[in-house]
Amino acid sequence: MDGAAPAEGWIGTRLLRKEDARFLAGKGQFLADIRMAGMEDVCFVRSPVAHGRLNGITKPKGAVFAAGDLPPFQPLPAGPDLPSYRTVPYPPLATDMVRFVGQPVAACLAPTRAAAEDLAGLVELDIAELPAVVDARAAMRPGSPLVHEGWPDNAFITSGAHGGEFDAQRAAATVSIRRDLRMNRQAVVPLEPRGVLAYWDHRLDELVVYLSSQAPHVMRIGLAQVLGLSEHRLHIIAPDVGGGFGAKNRLMPEEIVVCALALQRGTPVRWLEDRRESFLSAPQARGHVYDLTLHADADGNLLALEGEVLIDAGAYALWPTGAFAEASMAVRNLTGPYRIPAIRLRNATVATNKPPMGAYRGVARPGACFAIERMIDEVARALGMEPAELRRSNLLTPEELPYRTAGGMRLDNGDYPRALETAREMIGLDAVRARQAAGEPDGRRVGIGFALYAEQSGHGLKEWARRGARVLPAYDTSTVRLMPDGSAQVLVGIQSHGQGLETTLAQMAATALQLHPDRIAIRHGDTAVSPFGFGTFASRSTIFAGGAAVRACRVLAERLRIIGAHLLQADPAAVVLADGEVRHGSAAVSYAEISRAAHVRQELLPAGMDPVLEATATYEPPESEGTFSYSCHAALVAADPLTGATEVLDYVVAEDCGTMVNPMIVDGQVYGGVVQGIGTALFEEIPFDEGGQPLATTFADYHMPCASEMPRIRIAHLVTPSTITEFGVKGMGEGGAIAPPAAIANALADAFKAEGAEFNETPCSPRRVTAALDAAGVAP
Amino acid sequence: MRLSLHVNGTTRAVEAEPRDTLADTLRDGAALTALHLGCEGGSCGACTVLLDGEPVRSCIVLAVTVEGREVRTLEGLAGDSVTEALKRAFHEEHALQCGYCTPGMLVTARDILRRFPGPDEAMIRRELAGQICRCTGYMGIVAAIRRVGEALQETSGAGA
Ligand code: FES
Ligand code: FES
Repeated sequence: MDGAAPAEGWIGTRLLRKEDARFLAGKGQFLADIRMAGMEDVCFVRSPVAHGRLNGITKPKGAVFAAGDLPPFQPLPAGPDLPSYRTVPYPPLATDMVRFVGQPVAACLAPTRAAAEDLAGLVELDIAELPAVVDARAAMRPGSPLVHEGWPDNAFITSGAHGGEFDAQRAAATVSIRRDLRMNRQAVVPLEPRGVLAYWDHRLDELVVYLSSQAPHVMRIGLAQVLGLSEHRLHIIAPDVGGGFGAKNRLMPEEIVVCALALQRGTPVRWLEDRRESFLSAPQARGHVYDLTLHADADGNLLALEGEVLIDAGAYALWPTGAFAEASMAVRNLTGPYRIPAIRLRNATVATNKPPMGAYRGVARPGACFAIERMIDEVARALGMEPAELRRSNLLTPEELPYRTAGGMRLDNGDYPRALETAREMIGLDAVRARQAAGEPDGRRVGIGFALYAEQSGHGLKEWARRGARVLPAYDTSTVRLMPDGSAQVLVGIQSHGQGLETTLAQMAATALQLHPDRIAIRHGDTAVSPFGFGTFASRSTIFAGGAAVRACRVLAERLRIIGAHLLQADPAAVVLADGEVRHGSAAVSYAEISRAAHVRQELLPAGMDPVLEATATYEPPESEGTFSYSCHAALVAADPLTGATEVLDYVVAEDCGTMVNPMIVDGQVYGGVVQGIGTALFEEIPFDEGGQPLATTFADYHMPCASEMPRIRIAHLVTPSTITEFGVKGMGEGGAIAPPAAIANALADAFKAEGAEFNETPCSPRRVTAALDAAGVAP
Repeated sequence: MRLSLHVNGTTRAVEAEPRDTLADTLRDGAALTALHLGCEGGSCGACTVLLDGEPVRSCIVLAVTVEGREVRTLEGLAGDSVTEALKRAFHEEHALQCGYCTPGMLVTARDILRRFPGPDEAMIRRELAGQICRCTGYMGIVAAIRRVGEALQETSGAGA
């Protein structure tokens, strides 16, 4: 590990990652690396049709389990806890109905995956097929077939958001732009697929579950409930997890079934998802359909936004929250960092015969950003304004913050116009305009696109309760333990799976404790090790787990000060903590000596001081409405009018996530997010045919962004510390993925602005691009 | 059936069926963990190993076809100077996040440097096509490979 302790602590240091060594040696311990003697592998038999009545299952000889072969599962209501929400059970194995291609129907066990697959191939399903509901908009038309019998329509829940003086604002408009926009369904694709291994540990008298999960403690609650197990008999371990991005943050039917099988058979039972199953049945994402009208005056002042958002949520709700943050977050975030004084929006979360939707990096905001930023460009075009200029005049200024948006969000601090100016300079807007005028030698067209967002993070109790969440991840917990030799363990309830939290949390603890990060180990991902916590998602871990760790460290630092002063025979107010020592003038006592006294030489402690140096703290930010990171992305693209192929020539990000604990890791999160966002913009989609069959189930038909198509990404940092978090950090794990679809679609529209071609649906595949050019009459 | 495999310099006998892939055989039969399965269909590169010195996707190679040939996984490249330099550069350039793609990336990166001395960014990106990383956006990976390539150029130039 490089770097000496900076005077002000470890915040802001480019500390190399503590977690790298094991992965570089090939010694990461992922789910598939864990094996148990006598272990059986599971292969699931899945529905081949999108909608149908399951009349019977013909089972071959062997270990084949259908719903009726397992003890009944306990009910596990999922989705929002709101009266307006239509709840429907999601049986872990299908009972009488199947509602998407890939829904688990039976589980086959054998000593190897291959043998389990052989067995699954012999199972016959008798299913009477029913018409499938595939398109969210068609699903809401009267007369549509129903995903759930007995419902009056296909909506899980409908809602709306109203803010500002809508009628008055609209009346002042001279330009009104109405558009249909879609961000299509896609997969999340952590490179490690899902997986679970469960066995009964006789010594501990508990069910041990290795789970590739972002949130082991929360999953324990759900698993215990559905299995009817007491939580003290359930131990969840998320080992090294090969990416999650939201896809490993819901309790999935396969995971429940594997645990039930382990209980029933008394042997270790494992399921490793393969990539095809992942495309069929892992939580999917996006699936936003918009019909919006944006009103502006003749000077380009944005006045009001109205319309409808539909979320294509799939057949069921996944526990705990399903896809039910999407609709309300989409409408509340639609106005972005702009001064749009009034909104009138409706939304519906729609049931379709598709796999249940979960969460994916950015949750709702990539769609909302895409929609509003596309509309803003169209307003600019209608008024003959430079889109960047129209943005500048409508962005909230630092003086206007904190600002309550029409959607009710409280944007706290930052400088949005400066982010825009920075990105504009970095990408070289003026030079691009000149280049466009000159034309491209290869016949392609170049275009430039901008997009901004503000991303809520660190939101507390009120915000989650308002959403009707069943689980309110409004705080987190940490136990910090000084070992007898003065090194420290920091136990946290989150799960780091690529975010580098073993390093950043050590930096935060090192700063609060004045101890070198080499002497601090972060422990996470195991319910038997760490105190209760909600896991890693929603850009929350640095704020919440970091905040809790810092608070626990401060409690210990205070005790170190008192014991150290006592050992130095000094006044506690006169000593300082630095670099693993308590110092008084030129005298010093090391944490090792203090901790030794606290653990095994208690006679050295001051009178009345408890032995042992361990503290647990929770953290919830004092401001419940969160703190907002933001950024401006700008993309330069070249598109071939003949083939519709789009190349991203340059990509810049001007971002502000408050104080950066580790700038290297911040950059890594932005890079990774941007490339995922470019995937959404240009490549990634799971289309479904009319019968509800998914048309992308391998990497041959689901195109992942590779190094060869990705640009070099450039980042500029603005730093406006949060006023409500420890060290002023803001959440930033998701932001990179929010703006690229908007920036790239705007860049395409810019490339063809003379003809007025528009790109209002992602991904902007070659076929969609050429279709848009045909519609606009662009000659190739 | 019983196969005799030359893996990482030693010969071992492993049980395998004719349909078993090299990836499964190395992982399950030889308990190696420096190759991961991301697609089991030859399109992500996470399972890349060297077969007679050439990178292959071990998920689409049948184990029975490699008898008598030399298999090397990332574990078997420990101590190899280019691999060690790449590991250091991956660490310093933040070229890994979850670490799932990392072994396959390192094996591929070493092969890129073997075939192309001092590759530029465009060349590295082209050569990484089909090697999927979902986490890093490839920035650190490209930078790390480039850096080691340049360092190798310098040392070979100095020696000439
Ligand atoms: S697992 Fe072999 S190429 Fe993906
Ligand atoms: S580091 Fe996670 S896939 Fe590359």
